[in-house]
Amino acid sequence: MNKKEVFKLAKGFRGRAKNCIRIARERVEKALQYSYRDRRNKKRDMRSLWIERINAGTRVHGVNYGNFMHGLVKENIQINRKVLSELSMHEPYSFKALVDVSRTAFPGNKNVTSTPKKEGLSMLV
Amino acid sequence: MAMSLSCASSTFTSIFNHKNSSPTTSITFNFSSNSPATSISSLRFNYPSCNRSLNSYSIVPKLSQTEAPSVESETGAETEATEFEQVQPAEQTLTATEAKGEEVFAVVMIGGRQYIVFPGRFLYTQRLKGANVDDKIILNKVLLVGTKTSTYIGKPVVPNAAVHAVVEEQGLDPKVVVFKYKKKKNYRRNIGHRQPNTRIRILGITGYQDSPATTLP
Repeated sequence: MNKKEVFKLAKGFRGRAKNCIRIARERVEKALQYSYRDRRNKKRDMRSLWIERINAGTRVHGVNYGNFMHGLVKENIQINRKVLSELSMHEPYSFKALVDVSRTAFPGNKNVTSTPKKEGLSMLV
Repeated sequence: MAMSLSCASSTFTSIFNHKNSSPTTSITFNFSSNSPATSISSLRFNYPSCNRSLNSYSIVPKLSQTEAPSVESETGAETEATEFEQVQPAEQTLTATEAKGEEVFAVVMIGGRQYIVFPGRFLYTQRLKGANVDDKIILNKVLLVGTKTSTYIGKPVVPNAAVHAVVEEQGLDPKVVVFKYKKKKNYRRNIGHRQPNTRIRILGITGYQDSPATTLP
């Protein structure tokens, strides 16, 4: 990479790393290494985000994530977590239909259906 | 956007009345606010004649050529698709449907990835080999179809459901710099990469009426 390309990639860096070539080259190389690594990490992070969202969406209906996915697997429904999380956010009725299907396939949740107890200041709400 | 419409409409003007506006970014979908009898919110497009005409259009022989690209692109998944269709008839449990509104969405699997799809919007997918611009494509792996009143959940695929789409453009993704570096070993590799992609525009979702569904409150 010549200097022009290095400075183009070093936009927004802190201090001398955006202006002085010796420092900028090091930081740019580090930044590119991080982006290589993080392109792989992004896939992991997104999947755990989807799982969190699906968990939140199913617990509203009294089912937790593990039992929900087990029910879907039993019913041979192959919708992936990305789409499930999108449905739980934007298509609540379709998501509820999926939760019901999973619940009939695998009713593992009889003890967990109660709403969580409010403690502290949230009792006032 | 207007350019692509003019290319597509040159061959399909007789059937598709494109009343499209630019695709919107929000995906909010209020079932509670619209009753099934009333018509659409501003987010969606009207295809009152198109849904019915699409069924008849599928007989046209040109589509038999364009089905090949959708099949070729799912090389590994294709063998699974044939197995799925044998499994489906054994698992029909849910009740019949109500009248659907125009607003409908589907979850479709293309190139190994799943997308939520609305009629009238476009979508970037993996490059579909053998598909030329303005080819009509039918996507068969429809995992879920949702309308305003009912949801059709596929196990794993909704039977006889098809999503019709037009290939708009075969381009490349933005460049990604793949930089490999090992410290103190004088090893540096700087490679640029642009993944080929295909932009397809979804025309309509058909064929799901017969399958069982859950009706929504």
